[in-house]
Amino acid sequence: MRLQVPTKFNPAQHPDVQIDWQDGLFRVVFDAMASPCTLLLELDKARFQDAKNIAMLAAIECWRIEQKFSRYQKNNLFCQLHSKPGTWIKLDEETTRLLNFADQAWHLSDGLFDISSGILRRIWHFTDNAVPPTQSKVTALLRNIGWQNVQLDPIKGIKLPPDMELDFGGIGKEYAVDRVLQLLNNLYEDIPLLVNFGGDIACNMSRLDKQPWLVGIESPFQEESQATISLNKGALATSGDSQRFLLYKGKRYSHLLNPKSGWPIENAPRSITLAAPTCIQAGLIATLALLQGSKARSFVEQTGFTYWLYD
Amino acid sequence: MKTIMLVKTLSLVSAVFLLGCSDLGVKPWERDLLAQDDMSIISEPLESGLNDHIYFSKEASSGGQGFGGGGCGCN
Amino acid sequence: MAVTKKSNQDFKQLLAGASCALFAGNTLAIEAQKDWTYDAATLIYVEGDSRVTAIEPVISATKAYDSETKLNIKVAGDTLTGASPNGATPSDSVQTFTGPSGNGGYTTAANEQPLDDTFKDTRVSAAVNWVAPLNRDWTYGTGGYVSSEHDYLSLGANGSLSRYFNQKNTTVSFGLALASDTISPVGGTPEGLTIMSAYSGDDEDDDDDEAEDKDDDDDDDEGGGGSESKNVVDVIFGVTQVINRKTIMQFNYGISSANGYNTDPYKILSVIDESSGSNYGGNYQIDGSNVYLYEKRPDSRVKQSIYWQTKYQLDNNDILNLSYRYMFDDWGVTSHTLDFKYRFRFEKQYFEPQVRWYKQSKADFYQRYLTSSNYETEDYASSDYRLGDLETITLGLRYGYQFEDNTEFYTRFSVYQQTNTGDQGFGKLTSQELYPETTATMLTLGYKF
Repeated sequence: MRLQVPTKFNPAQHPDVQIDWQDGLFRVVFDAMASPCTLLLELDKARFQDAKNIAMLAAIECWRIEQKFSRYQKNNLFCQLHSKPGTWIKLDEETTRLLNFADQAWHLSDGLFDISSGILRRIWHFTDNAVPPTQSKVTALLRNIGWQNVQLDPIKGIKLPPDMELDFGGIGKEYAVDRVLQLLNNLYEDIPLLVNFGGDIACNMSRLDKQPWLVGIESPFQEESQATISLNKGALATSGDSQRFLLYKGKRYSHLLNPKSGWPIENAPRSITLAAPTCIQAGLIATLALLQGSKARSFVEQTGFTYWLYD
Repeated sequence: MKTIMLVKTLSLVSAVFLLGCSDLGVKPWERDLLAQDDMSIISEPLESGLNDHIYFSKEASSGGQGFGGGGCGCN
Repeated sequence: MAVTKKSNQDFKQLLAGASCALFAGNTLAIEAQKDWTYDAATLIYVEGDSRVTAIEPVISATKAYDSETKLNIKVAGDTLTGASPNGATPSDSVQTFTGPSGNGGYTTAANEQPLDDTFKDTRVSAAVNWVAPLNRDWTYGTGGYVSSEHDYLSLGANGSLSRYFNQKNTTVSFGLALASDTISPVGGTPEGLTIMSAYSGDDEDDDDDEAEDKDDDDDDDEGGGGSESKNVVDVIFGVTQVINRKTIMQFNYGISSANGYNTDPYKILSVIDESSGSNYGGNYQIDGSNVYLYEKRPDSRVKQSIYWQTKYQLDNNDILNLSYRYMFDDWGVTSHTLDFKYRFRFEKQYFEPQVRWYKQSKADFYQRYLTSSNYETEDYASSDYRLGDLETITLGLRYGYQFEDNTEFYTRFSVYQQTNTGDQGFGKLTSQELYPETTATMLTLGYKF
C-alpha cells in the first residue's frame, strides 16, 4: 500500500512511500538521491502501525538529508555554504560533523578523498558521444580543487576560497543509510532492520532465529552469477565503474577521477564491495581502493576489511 | 474532604490523559519544536529559583512546580 | 599511499574514530557536544521606603552526559539588609521595642510604620541534582542541598521517578523531598503569646547577634541555648503531556507537611485598648508601657496545591507560557497564582514581557492586632503581613542576546507591588495606616556560557 507523506517533508515531490508485507518481512520502498531506497523490517504483520511509523521516519529523514545537501535546491544548506566565498559561514552541528569526517578522510587518504573535486564533473562527461577534456582545461579546473585550501573552525564554521564547490555526493548516500539506521534502531531497538539506498546497505542486527540477512551482489559481468553475502550486523558499500565510463579512441576512461591529477584512474578493478561497521566507512574504503588503480586489491587486503572484488 | 476531592480529580485527570492519549501527542519525527530548550516546562531554572525565593519571602504560598529544583533552605 | 605509510591497524582505528565522531550521540535531535554549561546571574532587590535590600548571586553548572542524563550543581549566596515590619501597628505616639533576643532596642516615631532594622544576614546555599534514565521507559532523579546562615542550617534531599507512556508523549512523575532545619539562635526564643519585656534603654545594637532570617516564613528559635528543629516532607505528583507539535502541558498536585517550630520569633502583635475613654483604639498599657505580645503559630502546617502550565509555540516562533496554581492549607490560607509570559523571539535576541498576579486569603489565626479583651485568650496569633489578605502584581521584562559562540547575556527588570487589606481598627487606630502598600524593584543580570 502507499503512504502519503505531508508535502513539507517531501519538497522534492517524490512519489508516495510503498509498504508491503510478505514472508515475515515488511518491505518499504521510496525514491531518494536518484536511487531506489528499500527498507526491510522483520516484524509481525500485526505490528503494521509500527512498520508505517518506521517507513515514514526513514523516508522523511532520508529526504531531509537529500534536501539539505543537494546541489539542485535553492536556499538549502548547500546554497548557504557557497553563498559567501572567502568569508566564514557558520555551520549547524550535523554539517560540522560531516565536514569533520570529510576532513579526516582527506587526511587518511593523503588527499585522494577530496570533496572539493566534484567540479571535475563539469569537464568530464560519461555519455555516449562525449570526449575527454584537454589537459589545459583540467589544469585550469584543478586550481579550484584542494581541500587543503578550506578552513574549518569549530565555532566560526567554514571558509571556502572563491570558485570552490563542495560535493556531498560521495558521502551523502552512505551517511543517510547510517543515520536512518541509527534513528530507527534507537526508537525500535528490537526490530531487525536492513536499509538499502541504491546499493549502500546497513543493518542493525541479525534476523530472528539469528539468521543473517542475505544480500546479493551483482557481478559486473553478465556471465557470472551473483555472489550472496551473509550480513549479521554492519554495512556494505559498492564502488565501481562498470556502469559509467567513457570510451574514446579505443581507450576506456573510468568515471573515478583522481582529485590530484584530474584524470581517471587507470587499471582499477571493475567493482568492489566492502563490509565495514558503518556504511560511510565501507563507502570510503571502497572508493579509496578503486582509486589505487592496479594496487586496489593489496590496499584493501591491508585494511583488513572483508571485500569482494571484481577485476 | 477537600483533599479527597482533589485526589479524585487528580486520578481522573491522569486517567483521562493516559487513556485518551492516543489522540494527543506527536510522532517521533514531529518533535522538532518541542526539543528546543525554550519549550521545556522550566526553560529558565535560575530565574524560576530566584523568583520562588522572593515570593516565598513575601507571600504565604510556595511550590507547585518542578522536581528537585534545588532547595533554598527556606521551607 | 596512506596505507603503506601507516599500519593498517592505525588506518582502521582512525577511520573508525572519524566515523564514530560523525554519529556520536544517540538522540533524535543532534545536540551540541559541550562538556559543562553554566548559567550565572545576580539579582538586586530593592524595596521602597527604606525597607529590604538584597543581593543574590547564583551560579549553576550542568554537565549533560546525553540528552537524558545530567548533573547539576547550583551555588547561591544572598545578603540582606534593611528593615522589615515587626507586626506592631503604628501609633500616634513614639513606640520603643526590645530587639530580638532581648538585646538592644529600636524606636519608631509617631505615626510611622514599626520596622525592625536590626537584621542583616548573609546566606550561602549549594544544591546538587542528578537525573538519568533507568531504562527506556523510566527515569529517576535525586539530589540534595544545604543552606547555611550563622544561626540557621537547612539540609534537604529529594528523589523522583518518572515513567513515559505513549511514545514519550505522556510522562507521569512522582517526587519526594525531605528537609530538616536546625536553628541555633543567639539568645533565646521568646515564648509565644507572652508579653514582650519593655526596653530598658540599652543603646547598644549588636548587629552580629541579631539576625532575622527574612527568607524564612517559618523560622525557629529557642529559649535559652540549644537548638530547635523543623522537618518538612513534600510530595509531588505530576503529569506532563504533549498536546501537539507546538503545545505541551503539565499538571501537578503537591502536598507538603511542616512540623516543628513554625513561628517567627521576631514578630509581635500590638494590643489595642478596647476600654471606652480617651485611649479607645490606642495602645493598651500596663504600668505605663505598651503591651506587645510575641506571635505564635501552630506546630504543624499541611499545604496542598494544584498547578497547571501550558507552553505553546506560535507559527512565528514566539512562545507563550501560562500557568495557574491554587494553594490551600490547614491554617486557612488559600491562594491563586496566575503567571503569563510571552517571548518574542528573534534570530539572536528575545524580549519577554511577564505578568504575575497573586491573591491570598488570610490564615485563620491572622489578626492585625490583639485587643485588651482577647489578648490573653488566643491559642495562636500572628500579624505577619505575609499571612494576611493580600494581592500582588508583578510586571517584568526579560531580554536576552545570543552571541556567535552560543553564549547568552540576559537581563530582567521587574516591579512587584503588594497590597494588603484587612480590619481597619477602631477608635484612634482608624487614623493609622495599617496596610501600607509595598513596592519592590528587581534587576537581574545574567550570562549563560
